[in-house]
Amino acid sequence: MKLSSRQILFFLAAAAPIGKIVLMPARLARACANDLLFPVLAQLLVQAAIIFCVLLLARREQTLYALIRDAAGGVAAKIAAILFSAFLLFAAFLPVVEQKLLVRSIFYDTIPVYLVFTPFFIFSAYLCARPLCTVGRMWDILTPLAAVALAGIALLSVGSADYGALAPAGAAGWEGFASGTQAACSWFFDAVLLLALIGRFPYTKGLAWKGAVCYLAGGAVLLFLLATFYGVFSEIAVAQTHAFARMSGFFSGMTVLGRIDYLFIFAAAFVMTFYVILPMQAAVGTLSEAFGKSRALPALLSAGINLAMLAAVYLTNFHTSQIIEMLTGTLFWLYPVFAAGVPLLLTLIFGRRTHETVS
Amino acid sequence: MKRFLKHIPVKLWAILCIAVLFTFFSNDFGLVDIQKTALVLAAGIDRTEDEFALTAQIAVPKGSDRTTGGTSSVEIEGRGATVSDCLADLYAKTGWVPKLVFCDLLVLGETAVQRDVFDCLDYFLRNEYIPDSCLLATCEGSAGELLSSASAIDDTSALALEKLFSDAAQKSGWVMTTTLREFAIGYFGESRSGYMPYVRAQAQEGSQEQGGQSGGQGDAQPSQQEQKIYSAQETAVFSGGRQVALLTPEETFAFSLLEGNIYAGTFTAAGKTYVVLRDSGSVDVSTADAPAISLGVTCKVQLYGESETVPPEELAKGALSPEEERFLSDLLASHVRSLWDTCAGAECDLLFFRRSLWRASPAAYGKWKDLPLASVTVRISARAEGLK
Repeated sequence: MKLSSRQILFFLAAAAPIGKIVLMPARLARACANDLLFPVLAQLLVQAAIIFCVLLLARREQTLYALIRDAAGGVAAKIAAILFSAFLLFAAFLPVVEQKLLVRSIFYDTIPVYLVFTPFFIFSAYLCARPLCTVGRMWDILTPLAAVALAGIALLSVGSADYGALAPAGAAGWEGFASGTQAACSWFFDAVLLLALIGRFPYTKGLAWKGAVCYLAGGAVLLFLLATFYGVFSEIAVAQTHAFARMSGFFSGMTVLGRIDYLFIFAAAFVMTFYVILPMQAAVGTLSEAFGKSRALPALLSAGINLAMLAAVYLTNFHTSQIIEMLTGTLFWLYPVFAAGVPLLLTLIFGRRTHETVS
Repeated sequence: MKRFLKHIPVKLWAILCIAVLFTFFSNDFGLVDIQKTALVLAAGIDRTEDEFALTAQIAVPKGSDRTTGGTSSVEIEGRGATVSDCLADLYAKTGWVPKLVFCDLLVLGETAVQRDVFDCLDYFLRNEYIPDSCLLATCEGSAGELLSSASAIDDTSALALEKLFSDAAQKSGWVMTTTLREFAIGYFGESRSGYMPYVRAQAQEGSQEQGGQSGGQGDAQPSQQEQKIYSAQETAVFSGGRQVALLTPEETFAFSLLEGNIYAGTFTAAGKTYVVLRDSGSVDVSTADAPAISLGVTCKVQLYGESETVPPEELAKGALSPEEERFLSDLLASHVRSLWDTCAGAECDLLFFRRSLWRASPAAYGKWKDLPLASVTVRISARAEGLK
């Protein structure tokens, strides 16, 4: 079974924006206040360009591991697979923490017990043990759900937003832009996720630019949601740590209809669950391919990774702010190295088809 | 069997999906143990020199009394150095865990608004389980006493108060409502100003409640408590979190007009009542030479009632003469002028002059932000048009 190019486009357009609407908006508001759109726009443009490159790499129709193995041998490929998977697991931590905070704060009206988030890891362990190709069917199902969720949240929020709060543009200055771009790095690693999927879908004509365009289309929705978020909360945006789940709560019809926005929040959170698991699933997929002699290996890796993640999430439970600070501050540089540097390097080395030669 | 085994992963996946849905999204299946939980409908906050007093109006089951509808409640007071401490005190006194997710109204007593109100509102903004959409109001006297008073129109005073702040009441133009979110944005913004409706309670003449619901008395101990009706036609305005002035009903109406809130609201002048059918207000700031603020109101008005008998052919029209249009325009302009003067005199930037400056140009904001509002040039235009 292979993924189809349609499913890849669905992922880029609908799932990628969903992963960036929990903690990122408030974090950006802290870094650059009303100028929060500019760092995101910059990240989107960079990621779209890299996604274009990664999809060009997909023309070889070989997985990342196979590409490196053929070029540099099995040992180098195995080392690369380990490093790549390590980054994926590192990158997975922040989305998992976000999902945990969201579930605990939004879906309960008093502080729930710790263990309420544990079933996530059971679900994650099952998904991670499945072949990477199964994500395709997920995106087929989840894309309409994501579209409805984002549209619903946006529609219910627009009426409460004062878009004038985004003025004056550029007030945060270059310093704010740099600080915002740095903070946003931790949420923009979609090209790496795509890198884990290459060789698992056929390259169809124009897929590279279609992928970049779909990613930018999803990015436009994200920018609109961010603008609406800042319009709704303006000066208190920094304190709204669960952005998308808060902004639709001021719809005037709510007094009559009740919290209908929860339908859309549930839908978005459900899609997010799959998005959050994807980096771990990609790590298991990559390692299984590199070291895959036993059929039980994916299941063992999945169980090990999810247990480790569970332990990490609960052990850092009372240091969440510190961890988020570390990921978005001290260690931010790791994201561009892997999410931009590695794909660009691979494109330079393997970007041409086998029959193309440098003249 | 083979067919069954072949489909196991799909079924397992589906089961796991359902399990995740249940565990994440069940909200503990919405179960609330009413014996252990206090569903707080509204909270009133008063302040003494060194502590806060929080009166929580808590919904309670009505028992077997089926003769009346509505919601019963008790009011419990907690005291402490912070609002959070008050809630802990409340828990210690009753054994009920206060649940604020249904708290739709915060009332601040006179003592609380004399100092920075964010000393106590901070808790509600900080707490993730309290909606930022809850309404804010301030009141004459003590907030605790207001919530504990017996309403003439509802078993629960908070629900009677919330009726004052309905969309329909807001469209009448005589009440200006605000939420925690809106107030916080104003407070933390460049203008550092905001407003809250000011509630007064008046005794309903000739009424004595029988079988009182409040004060934790329950149905078994009938009490003699004077019934109250509430009004919120005045608006308290804040600067830096402190109440600095009180807008009259006319100024509140002018504020509503400027906000463009009014639809089918009425006002009376010279023995005639007029209905506003369309309202459009504007606040513009210019920084060309010196900063100036332009306040504009344009509304479509129809004659709605007179204190004298008129011929039937006049009844159907409801049109205004040019003199009446001029008179009403001048009247509305005077209300808007009075609103500006009150706010400027109290240095309350209710109309967000400084915020507009900031949005227009940070340089202009830097230059003029410390200019007293009373020194700002104000241009007022009001136009009341009759139906043609």
